[in-house]
Amino acid sequence: MLGARCPGGTSAHRSICNSDSPPGLGIPRRAMTAHSFALPVIIFTTFWGLIGIAGPWFVPKGPNRGVIITMLVATAVCCYLFWLIAILAQLNPLFGPQLKNETIWYVHFLWE
Amino acid sequence: MQRLGAKLGFVSGLINQGKAEAFGKTLWRACKGHSIVTHAELEGPLEDPETGEVVKWYVFLISFWGEQIGHKVKKICDCYHCHVYPYPNTAEERREIQEGLNTRIQDLYTVLHKTEDYLRQVLCKAAESVYSRVIQVKKMKAIYHMLNMCSFDVTNKCLIAEVWCPEADLHELRLALEEGSRESGATIPSFMNTIPTKETPPTLVRTNKFTEGFQNIVDAYGVGSYREVNPALFTIITFPFLFAVMFGDLGHGFVMFLFALLLVLNEDHPRLSQSQEIMWMFFNGRYILLLMGLFSVYTGLIYNDCFSKSVNLFGSGWNVSAMYSSSHSPAEQRKMTLWNDSVIRHHRVLQLDPSVPGVFRGPYPLGIDPIWNLATNRLTFLNSFKMKMSVILGIIHMTFGVILGIFNHLHFRKKFNIYLVSIPELLFMLCIFGYLIFMIVYKWLVYSAETSRVAPSILIEFINMFLFPASDTGGLYPGQEHVQRLLLVITALSVPVLFLGKPLFLWWLHHGRSCFGVSRSGYTLVRKESEEEVSLLGSHDIEEGNNQVEDGCREVTCEEFNFGEILMTQVIHSIEYCLGCVSNTASYLRLWALSLAHAQLSDVLWAMLMRVGLRVDAAYGVLLLLPVTALFAVLTVFILLIMEGLSAFLHAIRLHCVYQITCLCIQLLRRERFLILTCMSIGWEVT
Repeated sequence: MLGARCPGGTSAHRSICNSDSPPGLGIPRRAMTAHSFALPVIIFTTFWGLIGIAGPWFVPKGPNRGVIITMLVATAVCCYLFWLIAILAQLNPLFGPQLKNETIWYVHFLWE
Repeated sequence: MQRLGAKLGFVSGLINQGKAEAFGKTLWRACKGHSIVTHAELEGPLEDPETGEVVKWYVFLISFWGEQIGHKVKKICDCYHCHVYPYPNTAEERREIQEGLNTRIQDLYTVLHKTEDYLRQVLCKAAESVYSRVIQVKKMKAIYHMLNMCSFDVTNKCLIAEVWCPEADLHELRLALEEGSRESGATIPSFMNTIPTKETPPTLVRTNKFTEGFQNIVDAYGVGSYREVNPALFTIITFPFLFAVMFGDLGHGFVMFLFALLLVLNEDHPRLSQSQEIMWMFFNGRYILLLMGLFSVYTGLIYNDCFSKSVNLFGSGWNVSAMYSSSHSPAEQRKMTLWNDSVIRHHRVLQLDPSVPGVFRGPYPLGIDPIWNLATNRLTFLNSFKMKMSVILGIIHMTFGVILGIFNHLHFRKKFNIYLVSIPELLFMLCIFGYLIFMIVYKWLVYSAETSRVAPSILIEFINMFLFPASDTGGLYPGQEHVQRLLLVITALSVPVLFLGKPLFLWWLHHGRSCFGVSRSGYTLVRKESEEEVSLLGSHDIEEGNNQVEDGCREVTCEEFNFGEILMTQVIHSIEYCLGCVSNTASYLRLWALSLAHAQLSDVLWAMLMRVGLRVDAAYGVLLLLPVTALFAVLTVFILLIMEGLSAFLHAIRLHCVYQITCLCIQLLRRERFLILTCMSIGWEVT
């Protein structure tokens, strides 16, 4: 039911998939820039968690303390949610980008 | 001539330039040639004393012979409204008169000049002190305006002002009155008294220069009642955030942020704070603009859109080389359609297939992958992403509004409201739309390229949830039918609770009270004013929900219990909420619509302007690029920043109205005690 997908957290697994080609065909090694899923999640959760949960402790006392704490927490929640939606939507794409042949040559040459 | 007894007569005068010719002709016809008219034009136009216009004048001299003709000439002159002057007969007299007139003219000119000089001196002196005078006049006007709002007391010797004052400021008010009495040297000082009242106090929200703008936005829809939760506190962040979701562009957001920063850093500049209309509106909203710009930078980063171009910071997650057949073993090549050079040369567009291993290497860590900017089916992906994002954000925003309403009920100690209104509302919203969010996230996590053929459409699944179709297409997950049935049952149960729960509960309270202890209800009737006595009463009662009972009975016995009215209000509120849930969720799709419009406009501007300029290779390309860039900048500012910005601003306000409706509740039967102050003014003796 879950389908044969590679969970994104295993970047090592992916690189093994890529370099599975037999050496005799002389394929150049591709840059190992596979993106993991776990690392950005950890980084961003920690980042926005620091701002939203730890930040309020450091707000100096004053008449505006409540407003500033509300702002910090609301910002953290909104921005984290927005980023999370963006990355979840791309986690398991159902279709790929459709490129013009000129673009394909360009990307093939320049990015890889 | 002497023999005929007729004399030569003269008439001299001035006539308007327009009438001169007609005058001459009339004279000729009337006198039948027995008069001679000479005229000359006056140099320099003079002001006509009757009409005040400046016209040209003609001087004429009529010489006639005979008295009859003289009368005729005089009548004609009167008709034409000439200014007639006496004509002296002898040459000496004429010279004398001329000299006399000249001296008179000189004198008059001198007088006029002197008067102008004097006038200018007086005005200059006045201009030095006009600023302080204006302030003095304004102060006096303000004082009189304030005094007009007071009323006279019985003795007609003092003024009384009735004032609402926050309890926290009572002490300061007293001090201010004392200081005012002292400084004005009055014999009788003013003082204040507090008066208990049953009226609802006005709502005061303290704002500083930062929060004032946001409070104004919220107040534009409606001001909350006394002691209700203030939605503006959260609006400080959610409003710029929702704006930014619709505006989402790094470059434009940064420009907006810079503009707002300029305004904020120069906010003490006097010319800015006193500017007119449009600039004044921008100036007043400078903090809102600042936050909107900041959030737009962030959402632009996530949408990967900077002046319609994407930024490739981490390397794209899509690998084109892996689609080539040379990257795979022959076993794999037979299973999938792969590319080689001839395939690419023959097809204009080709689509990457994520089910081919190595093509999709993981999600881009920050936002949308930059390869989508180069793709022709970019909108297919973005539309799906943005629509789902809008729905998720909208439902979370509305749920948050309902939760704020719970805080309201907690504050006013009406716990029954939470169980009978807020919980059913939450259940209704979450069982239907929360489940939609669950389905969206589930599909994102579980279905991938391998299973893309069988991935069901969320929309169809959601509609089928209500329609119970006979043929099941497999569904999203096993057991989906049962889960959906359960959710629908919960929703169906919560709707009647929402409609009838609160009115029935209040009715039960009212009738239950009158059945229970007569003495107790009698006690409350008499002692309803003092809070201490009510709390004494409460100590007799050991049941839970004691406060609500007291509250309920207080509100019930204080006025006629109108079951019909309460029922009608609750039914209207419930219908509004239920229908509103559906319609407002769809309304949040404007987040998607506007961000799509903005991205497309930005794209068109780039393609039509900058790309044309950058494509030209020749030497004059630089010269062409300069005006093209200028035009690009101007159009960016006017169309994309101002027009799109205003549009997104308006839609963000509309969405916040939705949020305000759900979180503020209308409290019909609220009683709160507050203090009214009475001030006596000093030394106002009315004779």
